[in-house]
Amino acid sequence: MTRRLRGWRHGLLLALAVFYSLFPIYFITVQSLKTPQEDVFGSPLYVADPTFENYTELFEGGKARVRGYVIVPTVPFAVWLANSAVVILASTALTLLASVLAAYALGRLQPPGWRGWRRVLFATYVIPHTILFVPLYQVVIALGLDDSHAALVLIYSTLALPFCVWILSAYYHHLPREIEESALVEGASPATAFTRIILPMSRNVLVAAGLFTVGTIGNDFMLASIFLLDPAKQTVAAGLGVMDVSLEELVAVAGVNLAALPVVVACAALARGYVRGLTAAMLEGA
Amino acid sequence: MLPRRSAGRRREIAAAYLLMAPAIVLVLGVLAYPLGWEIWISLTDFSSRSTTRPAFIGLANYVGLLSDAEFWRALGATVLYFAVTAAAKLALGAGLALLLARPSRGRTLAFLAVFLPWAYPGGVAVIAWYWMLNPPLITSYSVLAADLKHAVDGALGGGAWAFLSVAAFNVWRGSSFTAVFLLAGINAVPTELFDYARLETTGPWQRFWRVTVPLLRPYFALALYLSFTTAFADLANVWMLTGGRIVFPLVGTRAYWLGIHSGDLAQAAAWSLSLVPLLVLALMVLFRWFDRPQERPA
Repeated sequence: MTRRLRGWRHGLLLALAVFYSLFPIYFITVQSLKTPQEDVFGSPLYVADPTFENYTELFEGGKARVRGYVIVPTVPFAVWLANSAVVILASTALTLLASVLAAYALGRLQPPGWRGWRRVLFATYVIPHTILFVPLYQVVIALGLDDSHAALVLIYSTLALPFCVWILSAYYHHLPREIEESALVEGASPATAFTRIILPMSRNVLVAAGLFTVGTIGNDFMLASIFLLDPAKQTVAAGLGVMDVSLEELVAVAGVNLAALPVVVACAALARGYVRGLTAAMLEGA
Repeated sequence: MLPRRSAGRRREIAAAYLLMAPAIVLVLGVLAYPLGWEIWISLTDFSSRSTTRPAFIGLANYVGLLSDAEFWRALGATVLYFAVTAAAKLALGAGLALLLARPSRGRTLAFLAVFLPWAYPGGVAVIAWYWMLNPPLITSYSVLAADLKHAVDGALGGGAWAFLSVAAFNVWRGSSFTAVFLLAGINAVPTELFDYARLETTGPWQRFWRVTVPLLRPYFALALYLSFTTAFADLANVWMLTGGRIVFPLVGTRAYWLGIHSGDLAQAAAWSLSLVPLLVLALMVLFRWFDRPQERPA
């Protein structure tokens, strides 16, 4: 009897957790499916007459048009999506490459003071980014990278790197040494042992580090809108942010959902690996 | 470990520095100059409106902060913002993690749902979230939202509702990350430890505080630290989005306002750097929990 009651309570709590997590996404999706008329007179909680107008609007070229009560300028949304993909993939690749090498060095080869180096990297998170973009812009211009994706890729790569180094080096730190040693005895070079044995073994930790990077980069809006001014170069976040806030919110929200879709699908597919990877890095101490 | 200066070990150390180089060069290369510039500027009277060269004035900007009542109010609000969002994220995250750790029907789906707020790209979600809570004039729920906004702003000061909506977004997204992170931590703890604990303790609350929290302490500490770092990233996103219209007095917003709108970059630098000692202190305490020095390589 009590066991059954507990089962019910558990189910109820799970349902609550799902509601809490999904409601905001449900809410904005409902708004994004509305016609201008329903947006004004309908209910905020459901959509009676769904339309994909706001979504198709994003891809229509040409001049600004009048739709409902508002003037809608067209936006190069497909270009923004492509830009976002380029920036996210390049930054994630760069972050993972630099962190795997550093993590292996710190966790495995352990040069003198490795703990200190790892802490220094981690401590860069305390630097307040508030007005840091002013001098950062000087650097970007000095490198000739203004209005270039490369600037954003470089800056983004520093955001997630400390955490990635942390979990990867924790993993390499307690991976039994016998694993490589047997490969070395067989005559493999240290580099081969690393790429053929260690790297495949750390697949899940790499997934965790990669998803963390995507999540961290995906959270940025500020840097993207500061460093990319040309609409043809902007990412989705930068582009949608500068659309006039009060007039086109339905189209922008549709854009938010559309841009989120591929990321969400990828994350859902890799979610298990993410948890396994974090767990693998945490085993036997952080 | 004592340094064995064999030739092999020396080669290993050289290789280690070589492998670390890209990460160190990348991070320090991007951050060293900007940070140095910000520190230097905070010691001058640099302003984008002044026509003379910036003069070195020592710690005057910082001394000025100490006697500025507005600074202390902003610092209080900032610490409160950090503390409240962090506590909410840890509490919700721990609750969700414990809920998901128990095997049950529908757990996989619930797990994916809980993972979603974090997976949903924050840089664009914050745009949607902000409009959801601060809707344009003629949306179906504008009246309700406006009533709430006026009530909150009236009680706490202008910009409070917009600020709370950012805080809520930060908690929503952060609790999702914390939940999944702590779930991974629970999986890393041998189940025997939890089973013994079940025998040794009475009641779920005691079990939580005496067993779960100590076992997961390193992960709680790490999650707490990451919570601080995202708390400001989210705020920054919204100032940019609204062109600095959120002027609820916080250290970060005030620094942004001084630097970008008034051009007093020197003061802005002093304002924003004033948080560094607090964050370093927090980091040093947290390192003791998630980077225990007594743990020696075998």
